[in-house]
Amino acid sequence: MSTERKSTKEILKSGLQNKGSRPLYDRGALKALEKSVEDWRMNLPEQDRKNWGKKTKTVLGSDIPRGLLYTPLSNPYFDYLSDLGNPGQSPFTRGIHPNMYRGKKFTMRQLTGFGSPEQTNRRIKFMLDHGATGLSVLFDLPTIQMYDSDDPLAEGQVGMSGVCVDSVEDMDLIFKDIPLDEVTISIVTHYPSNTAILFSMFLVLAEERGIPWERLRGSVQNDVTLEELVRSGAEFIPPKDCFRIQCDNIEFISTRLPKWNFMTLNGYNLREFGTSPITEMAVAMVNGIETIEEMVRRGYEVDAFAGRMAFFWSIGNDFFEEVARLRAARRLWYKIMKYRFGAKNPRSMWMRCHVQTSGVSLIQPEPLNNIVRSAYHALAAVLGGVQSLHVDSYDEAYSVPTEQAALLSLRTQQIIQDETGITDVVDPLGGSFYVESLTREYEERILDEIDEIERNGGYVSAIETGMLHNKITTYFLDQQKDIESKELKIVAYNNYGSESDLPPIDVFRYPEGVEESQNRKLRDLRSRRDNQRVKETLLSLKEACKRRENIFPSCVACARARCTEGELFKVFKEAYGMWRPHVV
Amino acid sequence: MLEGMGRDREKMERRVKVLLSKLGLDVHNRGIITVASFLKDAGMEVIYIGNALPEAIVETALQEGVDAVGVSSLGGAHLTLGRRLLELARGKGLKERTVFLIGGVFPPDDAEELRRIGFDGVFMPGAAREEIVSTVHDLVEGKNRENSN
Repeated sequence: MSTERKSTKEILKSGLQNKGSRPLYDRGALKALEKSVEDWRMNLPEQDRKNWGKKTKTVLGSDIPRGLLYTPLSNPYFDYLSDLGNPGQSPFTRGIHPNMYRGKKFTMRQLTGFGSPEQTNRRIKFMLDHGATGLSVLFDLPTIQMYDSDDPLAEGQVGMSGVCVDSVEDMDLIFKDIPLDEVTISIVTHYPSNTAILFSMFLVLAEERGIPWERLRGSVQNDVTLEELVRSGAEFIPPKDCFRIQCDNIEFISTRLPKWNFMTLNGYNLREFGTSPITEMAVAMVNGIETIEEMVRRGYEVDAFAGRMAFFWSIGNDFFEEVARLRAARRLWYKIMKYRFGAKNPRSMWMRCHVQTSGVSLIQPEPLNNIVRSAYHALAAVLGGVQSLHVDSYDEAYSVPTEQAALLSLRTQQIIQDETGITDVVDPLGGSFYVESLTREYEERILDEIDEIERNGGYVSAIETGMLHNKITTYFLDQQKDIESKELKIVAYNNYGSESDLPPIDVFRYPEGVEESQNRKLRDLRSRRDNQRVKETLLSLKEACKRRENIFPSCVACARARCTEGELFKVFKEAYGMWRPHVV
Repeated sequence: MLEGMGRDREKMERRVKVLLSKLGLDVHNRGIITVASFLKDAGMEVIYIGNALPEAIVETALQEGVDAVGVSSLGGAHLTLGRRLLELARGKGLKERTVFLIGGVFPPDDAEELRRIGFDGVFMPGAAREEIVSTVHDLVEGKNRENSN
């Protein structure tokens, strides 16, 4: 980033300075209140007066100190219209829709994926039959890392942690009997590189089924953070090339599939790797900001594409913090879009998000306790106004969920949606002295961390230099010490020690024989496809990479020719070269 | 005089050298980075090589002459790749003189199986710093005694 360019923080400051403010509280009334609160405080035990601001220690929490009590004095200039606005109105603190869940329920979207494409297809149907309203497909380790199932590196790992996909034919099996244009589908591609590869296969599948691309609805992740910062892997392409692919994907998808969310700025995996809820949001937003800049540089109007950017957050243990920061992120993203990018369409200014409850917060001892943890996470997410939700299963500290545990997660969502009544009122915690104060604090701190990254040369540079790797490691090693010293308490782990060694639960076992059958399919595919065409399409992909052209059309051509995922990744590695991430 | 004593002690207690690796393609590395910091804090020499297959792990362990090899797996390949790692290590004569450890996320029954196939130490999520450090120390010491007899 050049020095003369203004930082996001400076732009927001100057954009907001001439906006008149109309504080809700009468000055005289506040003055009287100040005296009353001070008198009350003097009668507190000395201990509480001395330790007024307490640092709440929670798994993946922030270090924002919490007062013993919040009053109008905590937020004396609180201005309803400019700080909150009505739901569906700027700055969208209270939610992006006027009627929120009365109008549109949150999508119950549980991650699904294990074993073979056929096995995953069966689990998807099971979830849909039990009331899931969206799909989310997760790939196995070799697929995520972009190796074919018969690659020596993939041995022993095919179908684990997700479903294996080598070519468009596996996509077809995963989505067998599922009308691609009738259900919203999240394809959890994680990285820009595998978005280019796997989403191309998905598009070719739609094409072969005669479904026009513009009718498809759903999302991909497509996030550099996942490929270059969060991932542990054997081979990496350089961050700047990865960033270019991310933008190539956006360019192609946004022009051809108007209803598809071409990027899900993924804070989740970063947070779960081990970072603060503030860094989680700052990093995702900085990537969003620089991506929009690149798209504008490529000649696109902000409002022509920004409405299809989405976010993905992790929701952890600190209940009010989670509610507050979702509200803060909506307000901040609105300001960034309005003042930094001059967006006019409200949709471009919405911080729309999918949320997954925190997996790292679940522990092995007494695993049934995890049901309670996940339910609180989910409750915070809904009170925070999310659009879509996945609830982790209690057995995920052991393996991917059993069918019974996956159903329980879905039922948790349905109980919140249909039994608790909390979805009937919009932003029910809005106006709470505590929540509003925390929301403001959060907004400031996220912006400060955005500023820190921008001043250090921007997002891609913060990855290249190891600045972000170091920040994350420092956070989780410090948190580890808090857990060891029991300053951070985890029930039945370091607090109320657990007697039971073994859990009274069934643990999911990966099906056997997936690797063999997948390798058989690959051999068969390679012998019957037109290998001359494969060679040609891969070659033209390589040329597109080298000419720094948009690579997506070439990836689609490769998918049509039945190229395999590993073949495309090999082209990327040859064209861009390899990069070594910072080693902590 | 103090310096001299320090050197003597160092000679007596050569720093324990540990090779750490992610097993295969597993993407999660927070756990192993945490374990690396535990072992470094305890004065051990740690070499972390990122993601690797059993072949590369065994080769590096031989080159570096480490006392212990620790691998991490959260992706489900603990048994398949773990078995291959130990077979290779046996074939190269590495297993007899090196401690093999594994940690990560796996079904509890598999911990027993991992021990049965030859891992000297198996750590589940939530294993505490002291447990990990003292296990590595004790196992390495035991192995050295075995080999000097």
